[in-house]
Amino acid sequence: MAVESANAQDPAAPPRRLDLALLERRPAGRDYVRLVLDAPPDWHSLPGQFINVLCESDPAAARASEGRTLDDADPADWPCTTGLELGRRWPFVRRPLSISRVLTGGGRVRLELLVRTVGAGTRFLATRPVGATVDVVGPLGNWFTPPADDRLCVLVGGGCGLAPLFGLAEYLTGLGKRCLCLLGAKSAGELPVRFREPPPRTGNNVEKGSLVVEFAELGIETIIATDDGSAGFHGTVGAALDPCYRSYLKDVPVAFYVCGPKPMMRGLSHVAEAQDMPCQVSLEGFMGCGIGVCLSCAVPHRTDQRGTVAGQEDWTYLLTCRDGPVVDGRRILWE
Amino acid sequence: MIRPEVDLGVTLGRIAMKNPIATASGCSGYGEELGRFYDLSVLGAVVTKSITLRPREGHPPPRLVETRAGLLNAIGLANVGLEAFLTEKLPALATCGTPVIVNVAGSTRDEYVAVAAALDAAPAVAGIELNVSCPNVKEGGIEFGVEPGPLASLVGAVRAKVTRATLIVKLSPNVTDIAVTARAAVDAGADALSLINTLRGLAVDPWTGRPALTNVTGGLSGPAIKPVALYMVRRAYEQVAGPAGVPILGLGGIQFPEDVIEFIRAGATAVSVGTANFVDPETGPRLVAGLRDGLARLGCGCVGELVGRIEK
Repeated sequence: MAVESANAQDPAAPPRRLDLALLERRPAGRDYVRLVLDAPPDWHSLPGQFINVLCESDPAAARASEGRTLDDADPADWPCTTGLELGRRWPFVRRPLSISRVLTGGGRVRLELLVRTVGAGTRFLATRPVGATVDVVGPLGNWFTPPADDRLCVLVGGGCGLAPLFGLAEYLTGLGKRCLCLLGAKSAGELPVRFREPPPRTGNNVEKGSLVVEFAELGIETIIATDDGSAGFHGTVGAALDPCYRSYLKDVPVAFYVCGPKPMMRGLSHVAEAQDMPCQVSLEGFMGCGIGVCLSCAVPHRTDQRGTVAGQEDWTYLLTCRDGPVVDGRRILWE
Repeated sequence: MIRPEVDLGVTLGRIAMKNPIATASGCSGYGEELGRFYDLSVLGAVVTKSITLRPREGHPPPRLVETRAGLLNAIGLANVGLEAFLTEKLPALATCGTPVIVNVAGSTRDEYVAVAAALDAAPAVAGIELNVSCPNVKEGGIEFGVEPGPLASLVGAVRAKVTRATLIVKLSPNVTDIAVTARAAVDAGADALSLINTLRGLAVDPWTGRPALTNVTGGLSGPAIKPVALYMVRRAYEQVAGPAGVPILGLGGIQFPEDVIEFIRAGATAVSVGTANFVDPETGPRLVAGLRDGLARLGCGCVGELVGRIEK
């Protein structure tokens, strides 16, 4: 049942449990927050990897109860036995968050996260004050691999899938690779990026431009697509590919890097398969442990060589946390 | 004040454990994953994922859902199977520096016996833990471990083939009286008892009506089940294991050193820690250190002084 990982070597550092200080916190688009954590100077991770974050209510409360007996109980604490019973509130398990970028400079290493505040865990994390300690396990998972040749790298992102694309864009341009970004969201206000000026609506056309600051700074052009047409192409990223293939991507060898909602990753993977182009996707999903022991984050994937007759394929489960989150999208059994 | 030196060593059947802290089956893979965070030799023992005769993919996801203070799982005993375990996983475990206990599952008595016999022949295996919370497909799917008759028959059949390794029977809590199944296991020859396995549970989305798990039902683990586990350890200890001199490996929701001490007082000689490893991968060494401090605080020179000691 051994699964081939995307990476032959293991240059990333082994994972550790760490207490990291929250250095910065600022909103980014509706429902998003950008957090910056202080990392140890020997931190080493690669684009695509993630950290597993404990979103507990009050670590100090659990520690305050250590060593106390029932005899010490205060009426205000009753009927809690020793305080440990309630010191660690739910959410119980950690939340996996992509590392958006690793910021270096001034001798310090910092981790940038882009968090969509959807549930109890992430919402709690978004309220932590600057200076608070955040308990993380990481770096975890595998990472994106650059193309061996000089084909165009097409980075496709939707929603909080954008998170790892910032670091990936830096990494690829640092290696001298050419990149193009394709970003999608329900509407303009939901894109967690900074614009030089408001992006124009382009209706049924796709237009690449340098309006997205984070990518323009790297010399990377962006194509925007919104479901409601409020910015860029009117439609999904998948639908935007048609005009892209008639223009910017016509007869161009590409390597896709996709992070976003499942339908986006599935759609791009099918296109890549049809075009015979490589396609790395970053899987997202609920994780029990993030370290490869609970076996909950299982995703079915084909184990045969491409081209086998449909219906006679062999498949097995890979683990998002151990064999991913970056996987070959063309081999995932999406449904 | 000079604190007495605490000896954490305990014996589980023929297994000498340097301390009472072991990992729990299904929560530490085959050892290598937690080995990335610390040296496994600091633990008293490692208990592997359940091994079945043939490899199993497990249930389709979703396999796990978070509950208040716990987890509901239906992984489906996903494992590499006996052959791959012996050739690919056991060699690394053999050098991890702590006794290896292999958990065994099956759908028929013959499967259990075949796997147990093969493991008994492998010198690196110190203990065999029987997971009897599996449906007996030959008896309509009722779990082996819920009735004393089938349980005794299963344990007896395995006992006949396991002559070297320590045979541990992991009891199911989904029974009317744990003392009854504990008695059946001990009478059939168990060297030790481990309890409890997960409690059967269900979770349903109120608005779609769909179960949260593909398998519909699952096993509840984590801090939520600790009071039930403690009660069952106590009952099994008082009624069966204590008088018979059979050690108990206690488990169910252990997260902190205080929990370990509670289980020892209830009657456990050693403990297995599972779900807590998902939340804190460093739980193992943290508990070893915390237990040492706790026993020193209580003035205990060794674990044995505290086993079963609940004050009136």
